Amino acid sequence: MPSSQAPPAGATALDPTAVRPDIADARILRVTPAEIRATLAGLRDDGFTMLLDVGGADYPGREPARFDVVYHLLRMPTKIASVAEVGTPERVRVLCGVPENDPVVPTVCDLWPSADWAEREIFDLFGVRFEGHPDMRRIQMPDDWEGYPLRKDYPLRGVARERTPRPSFALKSNVAAGTPASGKTAAALQKQISQARGRSDFHGAADPAQAAQSGTQPGGANTAGAATPQQLAQQPVNLKQEPPK
Amino acid sequence: MTTATTPGDTTQTGGYAVDVVERTENRMVLSMGPQHPSTHGVLQVITEIQGENITKASPEIGYLHTGIEKSAENLFWSQASTVIERMDYLSPLTNALCYYLAVEKLLGIDAQIPERANQVRVLLSELSRIASHCVWLGTGGIDIGALTPFFYCFDLRERILDLFEASGGARMHPNYIRVGGLRDDLPEGFLGRLDAVIAMFEPRMRDLRGLLQKNPIFQDRTIDIGIISADDAVAWSLTGPVLRASGIAYDVRKAFPYSGYGEYEFDVPVRTEGDAYARFLVRLDEMDESMRIIRQVRKRLDAPGPVQIADTKFAPPPKETIALSMEALIHHFKLVSESFRVPPGDVYQAVEGPRGELGYYVVSNGDNRPWRVRTRPPSMYNLQVLKKLAIGELIADMVVMIGSLDPVFGEVDR
Repeated sequence: MPSSQAPPAGATALDPTAVRPDIADARILRVTPAEIRATLAGLRDDGFTMLLDVGGADYPGREPARFDVVYHLLRMPTKIASVAEVGTPERVRVLCGVPENDPVVPTVCDLWPSADWAEREIFDLFGVRFEGHPDMRRIQMPDDWEGYPLRKDYPLRGVARERTPRPSFALKSNVAAGTPASGKTAAALQKQISQARGRSDFHGAADPAQAAQSGTQPGGANTAGAATPQQLAQQPVNLKQEPPK
Repeated sequence: MTTATTPGDTTQTGGYAVDVVERTENRMVLSMGPQHPSTHGVLQVITEIQGENITKASPEIGYLHTGIEKSAENLFWSQASTVIERMDYLSPLTNALCYYLAVEKLLGIDAQIPERANQVRVLLSELSRIASHCVWLGTGGIDIGALTPFFYCFDLRERILDLFEASGGARMHPNYIRVGGLRDDLPEGFLGRLDAVIAMFEPRMRDLRGLLQKNPIFQDRTIDIGIISADDAVAWSLTGPVLRASGIAYDVRKAFPYSGYGEYEFDVPVRTEGDAYARFLVRLDEMDESMRIIRQVRKRLDAPGPVQIADTKFAPPPKETIALSMEALIHHFKLVSESFRVPPGDVYQAVEGPRGELGYYVVSNGDNRPWRVRTRPPSMYNLQVLKKLAIGELIADMVVMIGSLDPVFGEVDR
């Protein structure tokens, strides 16, 4: 199965939202990051009091804006209201195109407190930063994660696994290696594992002296970086830390 | 516990980088979860407390992140529902229904869904709502020491899951709803088992109400706890029972009827108090209203009819035609090997899930896989209000507030 989705040859549109069929699900507005705050504040004063959702989408190759930040608004009374008073509330969808080289959008956290986690999630998964957000850090992925998983060029199974052909168990294990940072070669990962084994608090280490020694020769593997990933994958990895014979 | 710390010092919070930085005299930081029996999943709440009063609460989520949206982008349109059903694992059919409604809108076949398929979809949605509220009620009762309702609730839920198993083959994730209708018609004997569940429902609800609703201990623990006003509820994007307990009767089934909900008579339970007890009452009344819809659906289900659209480009042709018709064989082969293609475009579709407005923003680029499937997770937004809700409350009431918001972490973290 391919690990990431390639744009099909038949589909000409890089931006599917521009060629949508006639579906009456919401009024749609397109704005730039410079206009987004004024647009949303105006809509809110106009009665669109509920920010239902903020989502992201990635259209690689689209110029000038690769990403879309999608705001879904709903016209909702802010006081006690019956079913008849709510009626069929109007929906508005605001699509904000964000350029790839400067993925920054002003935050709307001060207009709607509920935007907090949604904006953090877009930052986490797409790498679009929200200027003025009080707490702009990752929310779903670990804090030290590298890369933005929902971007289309991010491989389905993660960068580290994609780059290692037929990885052995130890190479896959992020328990032994700490969370394997993306973008690292198999040799660097192997080195990271051997360093982890050298730590005295690592549960596989037999005794500190031996662990320190095995930092250079874990399971007989050559960590000098000369071995190719294919060779590394075939070498046995000594998980139980038995002394080398 | 009067430790003076500098802003940004994370040693007091077990190494977690949290935004609890302002610390004054007599305040301590207490980390609840992520392994805590009453957080209903893997939620961590870093609370700052002064005595027993919460002065700051900062929920940390993401412990159950499984990348479902990324997985869905890499599966066929028809395969994606298998992972999508696993988001809100307490009402999987609602998720699948919402996703397929969006796909059907993009395909332009949303008006062709057969009547019987819509009836069964409504039936399963409402059964899911009751089953999901059973889990909320049972575990919510355990949180405050009421153990008996748990067994009553799970017995009822188990019988509903038996119905799911009878119809779709699996208790939890049947993948029974398909594009253009349903996978199969309801099996023989299903309606009899449905009647048995309908018959046991009312006495069971009477028991549950008797155990909790007038129970003075239960009332003491929930009345005036975690109050949300109507305008706060709108500002924090709350939907579902949490919004309706604050007085705003917004229900997607009434506001944007789908799958023929406009044909059924039901009321939208509303309370105006906005506290945990009001949310409890709204959900209990909702279960009764769901059963009212189910009774109306049951009357219509006696008449047989098709459960899938006739267009075999989207729905697999009947098995018996495959050996006789070349076209049926081709369509079957194409559907299995490369699924169908969806015209380019984007659509937002919402349904009323047990936790609120469950929305899917689906983008297609004309391929046989979705380009983007964005979920509007109701319980993530409902849970987020805990930051505001908890301030000034007692630490002992934290579990009541979390329980009354009814988060499901498969959906919060996705």
